[in-house]
Amino acid sequence: MNELIDALMVLAVLLNLRLLGSSRLASCIRTVAIEGIALGLLPLLLAWNQGLSGRLVFLAVASIVTRGVVFPWVLLRAQRNANVQREVQPFINYPLSILTGVLTLVLSLWLCSRLPLPQAPQMLLIPVAMSTILVGLLVIVSRRLAISQVLGYIVMENGIYVLGLTLVQDIPALVELGVLLDAFVAVFVMSIVTHQISREFDHIDADQMDSLKG
Amino acid sequence: MTVSWLLWILLILPAAAGGICLLLRSARVVLLFVIAAVAGTSAVAAAAAWSVFAGRPIFAGAEWLYLDALSAYHLILLHAVFVLSSVYAFFYFTRERSSGPIRMRRFGSLWLGSLAAMSTVLISNNLGMVWVGIEASTLLTAFLICTHVSPSSLEATWKYLIMCSVGVAFAFIGTLLVAAAAAPAKLAASDVLLWTHLREAAGSLNPAILKTGFIFLLVGYGTKTGLAPMHNWLPDAHSQAPAPVSAIFSGFLLNTALYCILRYVPLVEIATGGSRWALELLTGFGALSIVIAGAFIIFQHDAKRLLAYHSVEHMGIIALGVGLGGFGTFAAMFHVMNHSLCKSLGFFSAGRLGQLYGTHDLGRMAGAARSSPVWGRGFLLSLLALIGAAPFAIFMSEFQILKAAADRGAFVVMAIFLAGAAIVFVGALRHAVGVAWDDPVGQPAPENAGLGEKLLVIVPLAILLVFGLWMPDCLKDVLNRAADVIRGGL
Repeated sequence: MNELIDALMVLAVLLNLRLLGSSRLASCIRTVAIEGIALGLLPLLLAWNQGLSGRLVFLAVASIVTRGVVFPWVLLRAQRNANVQREVQPFINYPLSILTGVLTLVLSLWLCSRLPLPQAPQMLLIPVAMSTILVGLLVIVSRRLAISQVLGYIVMENGIYVLGLTLVQDIPALVELGVLLDAFVAVFVMSIVTHQISREFDHIDADQMDSLKG
Repeated sequence: MTVSWLLWILLILPAAAGGICLLLRSARVVLLFVIAAVAGTSAVAAAAAWSVFAGRPIFAGAEWLYLDALSAYHLILLHAVFVLSSVYAFFYFTRERSSGPIRMRRFGSLWLGSLAAMSTVLISNNLGMVWVGIEASTLLTAFLICTHVSPSSLEATWKYLIMCSVGVAFAFIGTLLVAAAAAPAKLAASDVLLWTHLREAAGSLNPAILKTGFIFLLVGYGTKTGLAPMHNWLPDAHSQAPAPVSAIFSGFLLNTALYCILRYVPLVEIATGGSRWALELLTGFGALSIVIAGAFIIFQHDAKRLLAYHSVEHMGIIALGVGLGGFGTFAAMFHVMNHSLCKSLGFFSAGRLGQLYGTHDLGRMAGAARSSPVWGRGFLLSLLALIGAAPFAIFMSEFQILKAAADRGAFVVMAIFLAGAAIVFVGALRHAVGVAWDDPVGQPAPENAGLGEKLLVIVPLAILLVFGLWMPDCLKDVLNRAADVIRGGL
């Protein structure tokens, strides 16, 4: 199983870089969906040796359905409503974003070797989780479109999900469900607001909303 | 135990009432129903708090729900602010032309929903559920900001959503790290996030991981508390939301997030052997917030933005007071109450004046204290109380915090606090003088304030005045017991 977990982590890193390098919104949304599905499999693989419990399978399925099906569906709809195809001129251009993405991974690997974190079952898990969180933040601050910022938020949630699985083995199911539900509602709320923004302003460029100052 | 049912009612009643709101016919009925539901819930909250202060902390639901002195005190304030704001919402929205039944139905259910979410935060023992409550309150209140959809209210909503969601996600990382820090304490898997268990085992938590976690928690929940430099969303959200919503934002939503930080303070302090590390961090953020807010208050033209920056300042004062420890914690708890009451009144008045004048510009509101005697004077007095004019209670609590700083010999902190308070005093006094005595510029609509509206102004002011002059022993006892929880007593 360990090789499979490592492979998933490498896949997550590659998907993060793809997200940073692509300007077409639809392909960004799909990238994040694939990442969500891949990371949703993680709890099953982590517990493979101890045997799976019904609770675990249920949570994994709930997570995969939310991240892999519901999120992309909501976002693709919001994108179609707002009628935008691609992100034009992000604050940090694409080659530079990819480079920063690689740097976050280096930084996370370095940080993990210094921080007194509890022993993770797998070497790569915590650094990749941290780098995914940082990539999410990078997308939020470097992109102009409201939808791209929501994507950044989802990527950040993905990273936190992996971090949670690694740091704390047994979070009560109710809390885990609550967290998933909150992420779900957050994305839903954000896309509704995005829809209202596109109706009110004729665009979803968060950078142009700058009338409130001081 | 029969008392433990009270905690369940506190969650179920507002949530159910929020659902019922969607079925009601007219806008007026919705607003009246909201008042009734909030009043009912607050009676239950009072009963629960009474049994905590008269007896012992309440547990319910396999220790997932827990009410001790700190949360009971906050619960009472939460309900006090909600009762006042619900009554005010009735006066506010019935005078608003665009308050159709559809909008008011949505408002009512979101309003009661956020009450349920904030109650979840206060009465949960499970730190994961505390987080869920905070995130839920963020999402529910986001739509309250754009009750009236306009480009600027959407801008404020978006800023609030993104900044607070990211901030609160940081707080979740912090919560995970705290759970990871509990590994050496060998807690059962189901108890690892329960505050009471962590508190008992605090001595054996891993200090290094716990400290890392606390930084995430402070930045995360601090964003929602409006501590500088994470406060950018706050003035926009407060100024664009309808006034009753601004009142609960400033009057209690910020405190709910600060309450979460306060929960972790004793854990870190005990785990690090009373090193004052967490307290000093809090003091630092507090001092920075006071100074930054002071700088912005001087140049404000908008009444509601002015009040919003006052919120940043006062959250800073509370954080600074808690950071001083000892008597400072007591004074900070006192300040929480004073600020919530005073700021609610401030937003009530600013909101009604905004309706009368058709603008929130302070220059256009010149002379409001004469032309609109009830709300104009309410705004003037709340502004005076906010900047710490004697004899209102805020003067007392700020004075106590200064005394705590002097007792500790923290003279740098004292100097920063005094300088910040002086800037705020001078800056805001200029606006207050304009509202009171300048020649009128704008033509306000007639006020027509009835007895209910007069009471909304008089009651908070009377409470602030009484507690400024005289502190009853029972209040002192309540504040001390709430402060003891933060100071690490059980």
